[in-house]
Amino acid sequence: MEICDRDFDREVLKSDIPVLVEFWGSWCPPCQKEKYILEKLRDEYKGRMKIVTINVDRNPRVAYRYRIKCVPTYIIFHRGEAIHSDIAAKSEGQLREMIEEALRKIA
Amino acid sequence: MKLHNAHKTCWNCPAAILKGNVDFRACGQSLEAIRRRIEREGLLIECARLPDLGHFEPTITFEECPEWRPTKYGYLLENMRVMILGIDGYLGWTLALKLGALGCEVSGVDCFLRRKMVRELGAHSVVPIYPIEERLKAAKEVLDIDIKFRKINILDREKLGQFMREVQPEAIVHYGEIPSAPYSMIDCNHAIQVQYNNVIGTLGLLFLMKEICPEASLIKLGTLGEYGAPLTGRPLFEGLFPADAVLRWRGREWSLGGELTPRDPVSFYHVSKVQDTFNIYEACKYWWLRSYDVMQGVIYGVHTDEVAADPRLRTRLDVDEWFGTVVNRFVAQAILGMPLTVYGEGEQIRGFIALEDAMECMVRLISSPPEPGQYDVVNQVSGLHKVSELAETVARVAAEFGYDVKIQRVENPRVEADYHPFEVVSTKLPNELGFTPKVPLEVEIRRMFELLTQPHIVERIKKVAHLIRPRTWWSGEKRIVETLEVYRPGTRRRRGFKPRLITDRERFPISKVEEVERAVEAIGDGEGGDGNM
Repeated sequence: MEICDRDFDREVLKSDIPVLVEFWGSWCPPCQKEKYILEKLRDEYKGRMKIVTINVDRNPRVAYRYRIKCVPTYIIFHRGEAIHSDIAAKSEGQLREMIEEALRKIA
Repeated sequence: MKLHNAHKTCWNCPAAILKGNVDFRACGQSLEAIRRRIEREGLLIECARLPDLGHFEPTITFEECPEWRPTKYGYLLENMRVMILGIDGYLGWTLALKLGALGCEVSGVDCFLRRKMVRELGAHSVVPIYPIEERLKAAKEVLDIDIKFRKINILDREKLGQFMREVQPEAIVHYGEIPSAPYSMIDCNHAIQVQYNNVIGTLGLLFLMKEICPEASLIKLGTLGEYGAPLTGRPLFEGLFPADAVLRWRGREWSLGGELTPRDPVSFYHVSKVQDTFNIYEACKYWWLRSYDVMQGVIYGVHTDEVAADPRLRTRLDVDEWFGTVVNRFVAQAILGMPLTVYGEGEQIRGFIALEDAMECMVRLISSPPEPGQYDVVNQVSGLHKVSELAETVARVAAEFGYDVKIQRVENPRVEADYHPFEVVSTKLPNELGFTPKVPLEVEIRRMFELLTQPHIVERIKKVAHLIRPRTWWSGEKRIVETLEVYRPGTRRRRGFKPRLITDRERFPISKVEEVERAVEAIGDGEGGDGNM
């Protein structure tokens, strides 16, 4: 799910479950491809981890707020706090590992 | 049911003024003033076509915008300003007429280099083509199309820039390159000429686009030959590795998704195309330009409705060893009663597309600009064929026209594998741009025979008959290839690999495409409508 500046607080910070946010740019080919994997994982983790994407150029306010300097950047939020962040495109296995690790941490 | 580009927004539109409004941090254009304004007011842009809108949020879709009108190829900007580099060529002229018929404001440049090169080799287009002045006049008389033309060599950046400033193109189609592998392999001078013209011409264009029309999309003609034919059997992906591609090394793994796939060009001409790929890729990254790099299969054929409308509107067709593509050469040989020349074993597999289908793909790409900064690649191909099978098909159609055709295997002057696996991925055009190939191979070959068997064209083919059999060796040798074997069609056992074209059509079933087209047929090309399918 693609979100924007306006709904970031509602979809991410006020979410009942943890949220993985991918910050991406249209000029970043790995980001374009990563969307397909994130869509797949979104279904797999439904109810346990929300997965959303946000374009940094179209939504600069959020990008400024979290000082995004490189894409893709991943931040996992839980109860409004960033509990994990990472950069550089990931394989499906690496993303799954990142999500599982975060879920273990907050369990 | 929506058209393929209905969901695209101002972010894809060349009329959206992003520069000065968007914080282009990625390419070092971040400005404190823009940042402060965005933090205060949010991200707002302006529209070059609708200045009355003032500053607004860039969320208007093509379906909602009054400037984008439905056509059977998707929403198209009304009177879209499209500039074609190499407008006098085989593809350039054909596309100019097609776009003009769709209501685009077409402009173009050419310096007639192709006519000159062909003439210097002692050859000519077997389909007569008229001087550009005659062509432009006929386009107006027959199709009511005005084309703004300038004689400009794209290496002359000052003149090209001047024309671009005047036209302010919203899309640029770059056909202005020397399109021949054998021509680049004649000798050092020809290799340098091809690489200089192609690479430097494109590089200069990128700088001009940055300065003059950074929001326009660049549709650049590459070639499937940039990839080569990997002997690992790895599929030829669409320029970039897919999302689930992974590199494993020493127990660790990395995502390859989105990285450029390896290129393995097969001539100095193909090397020039690969260099273009990298230059365009970088320009998109540095300056937020947007581009489709079109990895086109070998093209063949003579027909579109527009070029067939009048003899003066016909596009060129070359059959010599340097500029004639394989199907075009075979048809000419069949008409001459010359056994069709298959190089080596004839088991080489290549991707192909008919002229008419290729033009439709280009219109769809023009109608669906990439995102700012996006370098995207499409494999533009409608079928994969072995060269020996093409010869069989041409022989079969030739028989319908009363020609008894034989096939000959000749020495292969090129450095290429005779037997090789070949798997091509072409999913974007069918699934994201709504393209379905409409012209089967036999149909276009039949059209070619209908045209090329006209007596005045047969006479022109006879005059270049001695230039069809190759004499340009990749080794540098200069001698006409020897015949290895002559055989009758249908008598040779098929060997080698079976090609595989991956289109993932199941993601966008043909029935849905047809449904959209039927709905749009009712609207008509370029005519207005409410756009709600």
